Amino acid sequence: MSTTNRSLVDRTWSKVTESQVWRSIFRHGYPDTPLNQSLVMMGNVFLHLHPVKVSRKAMKITYTWCLGGLSFFLFLVLTITGVFLMFYFVPDQTIAYANIQQIQSAVAFGNLVRNMHRWAAHLMVVTVTLHMIRVFYHGAYKPPREFNWVIGVALFLTTLLLSFTGYLLPWDQIGYWAITVGSNMASYAPIFGTAAHNFLTGQPVGVGQPTLIRFYTLHVIGLPLAAAILMAVHFWRIRKDGGEAGPPPPSRREIEQARARQAAEREPVASLS
Amino acid sequence: MTTTEPRPATTEPRPAATQKRYRTLAVVKQEAVTRVEKQLEDSVFVWPHLLVREFLAAMLMTVVLTMVSIVIDAPLRDHSNPNLTPSPAKAPWYFLGLQEELHYFPPTVAGVLLPGFVLVALAILPYVDRNPSRAFEDRKLSIALFTIFALFFAVTVLEGSFFRGVGWQWIWPWQNIYFDL
Repeated sequence: MSTTNRSLVDRTWSKVTESQVWRSIFRHGYPDTPLNQSLVMMGNVFLHLHPVKVSRKAMKITYTWCLGGLSFFLFLVLTITGVFLMFYFVPDQTIAYANIQQIQSAVAFGNLVRNMHRWAAHLMVVTVTLHMIRVFYHGAYKPPREFNWVIGVALFLTTLLLSFTGYLLPWDQIGYWAITVGSNMASYAPIFGTAAHNFLTGQPVGVGQPTLIRFYTLHVIGLPLAAAILMAVHFWRIRKDGGEAGPPPPSRREIEQARARQAAEREPVASLS
Repeated sequence: MTTTEPRPATTEPRPAATQKRYRTLAVVKQEAVTRVEKQLEDSVFVWPHLLVREFLAAMLMTVVLTMVSIVIDAPLRDHSNPNLTPSPAKAPWYFLGLQEELHYFPPTVAGVLLPGFVLVALAILPYVDRNPSRAFEDRKLSIALFTIFALFFAVTVLEGSFFRGVGWQWIWPWQNIYFDL
């Protein structure tokens, strides 16, 4: 009985995978042979950011701590939860606060999704910062990866601005006064201070409706778009600059010692001949 | 999966088919300028070795994030009121280091010049640090400087977050905490 079942499953499976529809989507067999493992990485648009093979050392969890990847993953989580929140949130100072209350109490899974958006945002600031620190300590910003570090600094700034613009949207006392403090800071910039403040808030004094719509627009489209473009360059450059840097190579002293040791080993052999 | 059909023995292969034809898949540059004597790398296929790790990391993150979001609610204080300044009015946590500097330095220095200098310094770091070695032992100075810088910011952020109360006065965390996430 079980054999008949198996063969039925097998037959259906091979019918599906040999069908024209399946073969038009996947141009290769299941990735369990070196050829198919290569084809899947080169032929799949979502996977092709990765190389086909990767150095075992550079892949170690304790080397990268997955921090860059997790930052990107959190960006995706924030995009999905953010789109959900956009269905219910209107950036109007008379109803924005009430919208948040409705999301918390009346929208199915609204409270959970808002919580996830908030905590993922804070977490992303943390993972991006730690990623940057990790890259510094491994010296992975050194040639040929200098420019990718610069892109990374721009991404770090974009992440902070994304978080900062989102802070205002619930229109409660926390966000309102945090943004008031932050945008007042901009007005102390030399020469273009007033211009910077007015650009941020959209009005000469304080924070109001023009500020809300500016922060909202930057938060949901302007900055995510900038982040997406910068990320595309960042990921592309990892590959083009020779892949993950991997753990630091031996120091100058260690290289010297290894050379001395080799020379010492060669010495007796040379005298024999 | 695909197997080559055995060719009928009777047909002669056409001359063109006996010559191998090539097409360019990719131009692979010799590796980075820093390359010295590189041994053959111990590498593995990304599918499945790296992808499985990435998948697990993403799943773990999803579980942790969902758990935290079920247990802890995002804060929402009273409706904003332009006439009621809370004391202290704190910026988001990652700017509290700067707000702490604001307590000691004029706003132009603490709020504009210092963060501007830090960002520019970070951006030009790879062009300033000319030391080609990546080994910890060879980079004592840059590592020391960066560690001091990172610790300075960590300490000021913690200070601004948990040690500052009404009127930005010093307060111990066990007395009261004025901190919103």
